[in-house]
Amino acid sequence: MRGYLAMTRAEMRLFRREPFSVVFVLAFPLMMMLLLSAVFGNDQADANDVENGMLVWRGVTPTDYYTAGSVAVIVAALGLMTLPINLSGYREQGILRRLRASSVPASTLFSAQLTVAFATLLAGALIMGFVAWLGYDATLPQDVAGVAVALAVGTVAFGAIGLLLASVVGGSRAAQGIGLLLFFAMWLVSGTAPPRAVLPSGLRDVSDYVPLTHLVTAIQDPWFGFGWSWSDLIVLAGFAIVAGVPALWLFRWD
Amino acid sequence: MASMISVDGLHKAYGSTIAVDDVSFSVEEGEIFGVLGPNGAGKTTTVECIQGLRSVDRGTIRALGFDPTTEAGELRQRIGSQLQDSALPGRLRVAESIELFSAFARNPVDIDQLLSQWRLEEQRDQPFASLSGGQRQRLFIALAFVNSPELVFLDELTQGLDPQARRATWELIREIRYHGTTVVLVTHFMDEAEQLCDRLAVVDRGRLIALDTPQGLVDGLGLSSIVRFSTSESDLSWIERLDVVDSVTREGDSVEVRGSGGVLALVAAELVAHGIVPVDLRVDRPTLEDAFLALTGRAIRS
Repeated sequence: MRGYLAMTRAEMRLFRREPFSVVFVLAFPLMMMLLLSAVFGNDQADANDVENGMLVWRGVTPTDYYTAGSVAVIVAALGLMTLPINLSGYREQGILRRLRASSVPASTLFSAQLTVAFATLLAGALIMGFVAWLGYDATLPQDVAGVAVALAVGTVAFGAIGLLLASVVGGSRAAQGIGLLLFFAMWLVSGTAPPRAVLPSGLRDVSDYVPLTHLVTAIQDPWFGFGWSWSDLIVLAGFAIVAGVPALWLFRWD
Repeated sequence: MASMISVDGLHKAYGSTIAVDDVSFSVEEGEIFGVLGPNGAGKTTTVECIQGLRSVDRGTIRALGFDPTTEAGELRQRIGSQLQDSALPGRLRVAESIELFSAFARNPVDIDQLLSQWRLEEQRDQPFASLSGGQRQRLFIALAFVNSPELVFLDELTQGLDPQARRATWELIREIRYHGTTVVLVTHFMDEAEQLCDRLAVVDRGRLIALDTPQGLVDGLGLSSIVRFSTSESDLSWIERLDVVDSVTREGDSVEVRGSGGVLALVAAELVAHGIVPVDLRVDRPTLEDAFLALTGRAIRS
């Protein structure tokens, strides 16, 4: 426990001192929420738009839709970029060697990383909700506990995916490239950029297999007061296991 | 008293490259044990196997009674490591990093004491990335002592340190040994091995080729001393007739006498007896470097 707290404190300090990760992870989703809201507006009349037999905005205004959806984008950025870049960079520089020589357990390292990611995410979600509420009078989360559970499950799922990336990808540059690619691909097809209703049906089928798609609805449902989306939560838990187990197995210290 | 470390028939290969080939030795409590050899000789691999940082292909290792392949966790609580090629996050500060590592130690030492011992007080709030090579090295050595270890491994301890800092570091290592910590020192510096180590394992191309005290290594090879002086006297055949003398060569007035044992005293006595009192009489005794050259057939830095 003492080790976990010390590791978490050190990681918190490092996160604060690393401007890029803060800027991208928090500013990009916020910026996208503001821009997409500016494009599609915050009109209750749009709530019932139908395209391809689906409600385009899931029965809420575009701003509400993007506010909750963009919180999921923070999770994806943390899991697909911050985590693998951090860990593979640690490996490349010999920091992992140093940690292992001092009996730092891998579980402590990972849980500290996940804790920092979760704290960042909470801050990001608060900022997102607050800015949308201030700027567009957007809906605040209707079911805070439901949103928190979705965020926690999402953090573990994306944390596991990030860990898998860090375990299989060689260096930090490779992690950066692959992480960025995965991030933008997921961002585009998961409903966080164009709503899924306007996607061509082939792409919509693909997006069913994308973890971010499930995280978006897992967060949106309680946020809008639609109840908990158990099926999405279960899929995310599945991703956590399918990515996490081989990641732990394949993790290398040097 | 059981050995602190015993290594028996250690063998380790990376693919088809044999890094460590059938190496056996033991390290006793309270000594500074040196592992000396050129780069790529297998020194680091050997000590990393002992610390449980690398898997072992063949052979048995016991360190503080633990098997590093199965009891690495217990072992690492009791040893300190200063590794080659390791780093800390660039933005982590000196005191913060010591604080971090001490959180994983069962018996952590006082952070301020550690900082002052390794002359890092002024850098305590400096981030790792801004430290000089010597300061980084001192921080890594400090981290090796953060858990009050019974046994420390120092891999290329004075790499990147200036001559003054090297000597200061040697002094501290002697002090640490004085307080009862056993030290395993990996080095390719002859002077460091000679100055610091009680015993030396000389490693070359993965094999242990000699194991003795630094002086024992030099003496055991029966290498010759060279006595040098100048004289205008042309006939020196009486020197050549001395038992301890192997050869005499001269170039103008400069004379070189090769021999073993007490060659200096005997040559000097003969010179005086013949009325020759050279002011530049001196002797070059064989050094560890000469012994290393004789053992491996090549210089360490080649």
